[in-house]
Amino acid sequence: MSRTLMQRLFEPTSIRDMAIGTKVIVYSILLFWTAFVLFPIYWVLITSFKTAVDVNSGPVFLPFIDFQPSLHAWKELFVFDYEDTLKAYVNSLIIALSSTAASVLIGSMAAYALARFEYRPKFGVVLTFVLVMIAAFYAVGAYGVDWRLASASGIAVFVFLAIALGRYFKARLSNGDILFWMISQRILAPIVVVVPIYMMFQQVRLLDTHIAIILTYTVINLPIVIWLMYDFFRSIPIDLEESAQLDGATRIGVFWDIVLPLSRTGLAATTLLVMILSWNEYLLALFLSTSRAQTMPILVAAMNAGERGILWWSMSVVIIVMIIPVIVLAIILQRYISKGLLLGAVKG
Amino acid sequence: MTTTDDTERSGETRAAVPGGGRERLADWLDRHAQHIFIWPAVTMILIFSIFPLVASFIMALSRIRLRGGSYRVRFVWFQNFEKQLFGSEQFHFLGTFGGMSILGWVVALLVTGGIVWWVLRYLMSGPTVVGLVGRLFTWGLVLGVGWLLAATFFSGHPFGTLGTTLFYVIFGCGVQFVIGVGLAFLCSLPIKGRSFFRVVFFVPLMITPIGVGYAFRMMADTTKGPFSPAWQWLGLGDFAWAADPWAARFFIMIGDSWQWIPFIFVVMLAALESVPRDYVEAAQVDGASSWEIFKDITWPQVVPVAATVLLIRVIEAFKIVDLPNIMTAGGPGIATESMTLHALFAWRSLDLGQSAAVAYLLLFVTVVTCVSFFNLVVLRRIRA
Amino acid sequence: MTVVLDKVSKSFGAVKVLHDLSLEVQDGEFLVLLGASGSGKSTALRMIAGLETVSEGTIHISGRDVTNELPKNRDVAMVFQSYALYPHKTVAENIGYPLKIRRLARADMEAQVRDVAQQVQLDELLDRYPKELSGGQRQRVALARAMVRRPAVFLMDEPLSNLDAKLRGHMRAELKHMQHELGITTIYVTHDQVEAMTLAHRVALLEGGRLQQLATPRAIYEDPENLFVAQFIGSPPMNVAHGTLEGGTFIVGDDRVATGGSETVRNAVIGLRAEDCRVVAPSEGQLHAKLFANELIGDHTLVTAKLGEDTLSIKASKDFEAGFDEAIGIAFDPDKIYLFDKDTGARIDRRG
Repeated sequence: MSRTLMQRLFEPTSIRDMAIGTKVIVYSILLFWTAFVLFPIYWVLITSFKTAVDVNSGPVFLPFIDFQPSLHAWKELFVFDYEDTLKAYVNSLIIALSSTAASVLIGSMAAYALARFEYRPKFGVVLTFVLVMIAAFYAVGAYGVDWRLASASGIAVFVFLAIALGRYFKARLSNGDILFWMISQRILAPIVVVVPIYMMFQQVRLLDTHIAIILTYTVINLPIVIWLMYDFFRSIPIDLEESAQLDGATRIGVFWDIVLPLSRTGLAATTLLVMILSWNEYLLALFLSTSRAQTMPILVAAMNAGERGILWWSMSVVIIVMIIPVIVLAIILQRYISKGLLLGAVKG
Repeated sequence: MTTTDDTERSGETRAAVPGGGRERLADWLDRHAQHIFIWPAVTMILIFSIFPLVASFIMALSRIRLRGGSYRVRFVWFQNFEKQLFGSEQFHFLGTFGGMSILGWVVALLVTGGIVWWVLRYLMSGPTVVGLVGRLFTWGLVLGVGWLLAATFFSGHPFGTLGTTLFYVIFGCGVQFVIGVGLAFLCSLPIKGRSFFRVVFFVPLMITPIGVGYAFRMMADTTKGPFSPAWQWLGLGDFAWAADPWAARFFIMIGDSWQWIPFIFVVMLAALESVPRDYVEAAQVDGASSWEIFKDITWPQVVPVAATVLLIRVIEAFKIVDLPNIMTAGGPGIATESMTLHALFAWRSLDLGQSAAVAYLLLFVTVVTCVSFFNLVVLRRIRA
Repeated sequence: MTVVLDKVSKSFGAVKVLHDLSLEVQDGEFLVLLGASGSGKSTALRMIAGLETVSEGTIHISGRDVTNELPKNRDVAMVFQSYALYPHKTVAENIGYPLKIRRLARADMEAQVRDVAQQVQLDELLDRYPKELSGGQRQRVALARAMVRRPAVFLMDEPLSNLDAKLRGHMRAELKHMQHELGITTIYVTHDQVEAMTLAHRVALLEGGRLQQLATPRAIYEDPENLFVAQFIGSPPMNVAHGTLEGGTFIVGDDRVATGGSETVRNAVIGLRAEDCRVVAPSEGQLHAKLFANELIGDHTLVTAKLGEDTLSIKASKDFEAGFDEAIGIAFDPDKIYLFDKDTGARIDRRG
């Protein structure tokens, strides 16, 4: 059997294997991409051990050969000048962890509710609410009405209208509409809402506090949690929940004892994603924190504007330090993810 | 065990259930679980998403002056939008208009022709009212953007933040999607070290975007960066990429891609691996090559996931702000300024009305694009 | 404990899946709700459990109105078709879950769990997870979990249908024995008439959301109230032949069968159980048919015969032999025939 060169190179010899030519191409692409991914990280890593001279005198690549690594940047950040960094780091940790916990919890509850209960809000009532809201805002904005007065009377007017007109409204929304509404909030660019949020927190004197940033992050991540967890909850056999209800558990008990433990896999993945997003969030923090509640991304971004130009070595240290919590969380959750997969077979 | 014994015991259990304030509260909570579960999320979304959305709209229609701690609002209808679209801010948002070049005219006519053909084809296929109204937005946006690019980019004039944002979204997401799917396909082949590649390829997602911005600034530095010898050798030693609009845009796009390709990669690899083996094996027995199997068997099964993941990526890409801000601060000029950055700068200069107007324009473009994409691509793929 | 359903109906939107179901289950009784899928039997059970709301009517358990009561306050335990074992809990935790919710002291709980586990022979497996158990063992865990809290009523939703045939027979016997031992009122849903006949004190046969007959297994077999019940119960199903009833004589083709009554019905149906018929020479017997097939089952031969459009099954002796399309006669005791009105399905000759 004679095979041409091309055939010999590119036709697989067995079904579980690839031909030598294909192999060469595939591995070269993958290795190239590995280099592309790792090189910037490597560069940041070695830069953190460089002195100003090493950086400014053109590129040097190999520690101990090209240049003598020095810990000065690390010392500078952690020993001599640690207060700002530490404060921002702790701020970031508090904010990211609390908002992740809150949005995973609140989002899971909503996702579970949409997966298991039936909601049929009247379209007309929802419309009334939106119109009353717009009117209240207009009153505050254009006529300087006090916002407390406006929201209180707005709610009163809404309740009155909802009761008075409620029975004339026929069209109803369904769970699908609510789900879409919640998930679609993610389309909203933060820049659209951030100025009013800024003003709201200004009114209640919560600007530059943890709570303000935590609340905001919680909300912007809710759609992701709801989106991911909704499908997960739907895939849990409803028998399990009904059985627990008959065994005497309340709905909340069912959720806590049965549903959440069974969704560990999804919860782990969702938590990791939300954590990464809130840990790295930049724009909202830029508006909502100035000094006390400053987070790491803001601190890092501000290092741009030193009078000595960018101190690349310090910058590199901070970037590396910022990866640590994410990696730690990924490792912790990895265990749960694989454990969850083992338990995966719910019904046998 | 006798029957009477059982009866007594069950009697006890039952007696313990009703009565007692705590039990009543638990029951009340249980009966209202439906509301308790959903209201926290609804309330928070109302307060932090819907209220601000409405307030922002009112701001976009106002001229706002900050005075000390308070502010004064004057309602000006669509003046802010007018300024962005037709007035003194036009160069910033849309771009600079000069005469149309021949290429510009060709592109404009092609876009118009394409839209007309699309409209006719839709009208022939039995339109519905909702479908028609929805499509009107899509057509309007495509037509507007097409003419905008024809009049600016294709006629040799600079475009504004709208064009820049669309560049990041369309070009950036396109590149990320193709590379992400390609890498996922390669990793789904029977290769050694698959878990190594999977972990390594995931890493950029964990690095803070600000850090990515700085890292790529270092990478791109032509005098001190790691590639400076190469630049020197090419004779580009003193080429300042940050001063060239297209070089700057591409660098930002590369940084963004470096960070987000992993996202597409991870999701697509999971999808590819969940395709049942028997389909693939049947095709292998039939003698199909890996590429044919991917094209004919695997790909059609993962298309819904691919469309969804692309949609997610597009939604996030519209919000791009950190990379341009860190890498170029929007420069040179306004060449790399995304719409979010545009609104941010307007806010910094205390022009709240303009800021809100730009933000709303961004919202409009995002919503029309994403909803069109969802209805015309994702839903169709899922149904197919 | 008694369970009383009074004119209970259930609608999903415009679709009414259960029509005015009234049942009275006695204390310690084993009642089987039998029906095909879509007959409303599972809906009825879920309404008793409180997992579905009641559209109309009332439900009383032990004399207490529980129509709008939460499931957890009804004092009922349910065994699901899928067993609904919590996959993340061990066998002991699964069985102990109802007690844990009632905040029983740990020691008490463990003692009771062990006690129940012993009754269902699970005491060796308490530390296993459900996925490490066989089908039969899972079934026992589900039973144990229902038993451990001594509920007023057991509800069972096709608990045996996920087992293989051999195990099913075994578990059926165990279930019957256990229910007798514990004496707890049990409502059991199944589509399997053998389960219904063997387990039940009384069977409630449902079809199209309506109760067709509520009677002991013997009565439901020997004295079906209507054509549907007659044809649902029995294996092979009751033979029917379509014809006319004229003054008490049933006419089908050229055959005339005296029924001992005097009714006249234009569209009538005669029903005969396979075991009540005998195959005789073509010249004898009340009905005359053509042999379609005969199958040796083991202890008997099942003869299938064609009578006009109708197909009849007859249990003959195992030595019976005949060729295809041979003419045969069918003989039976006139007391063993059932007559139905074809149009209404009602029994014509109901005595008493």
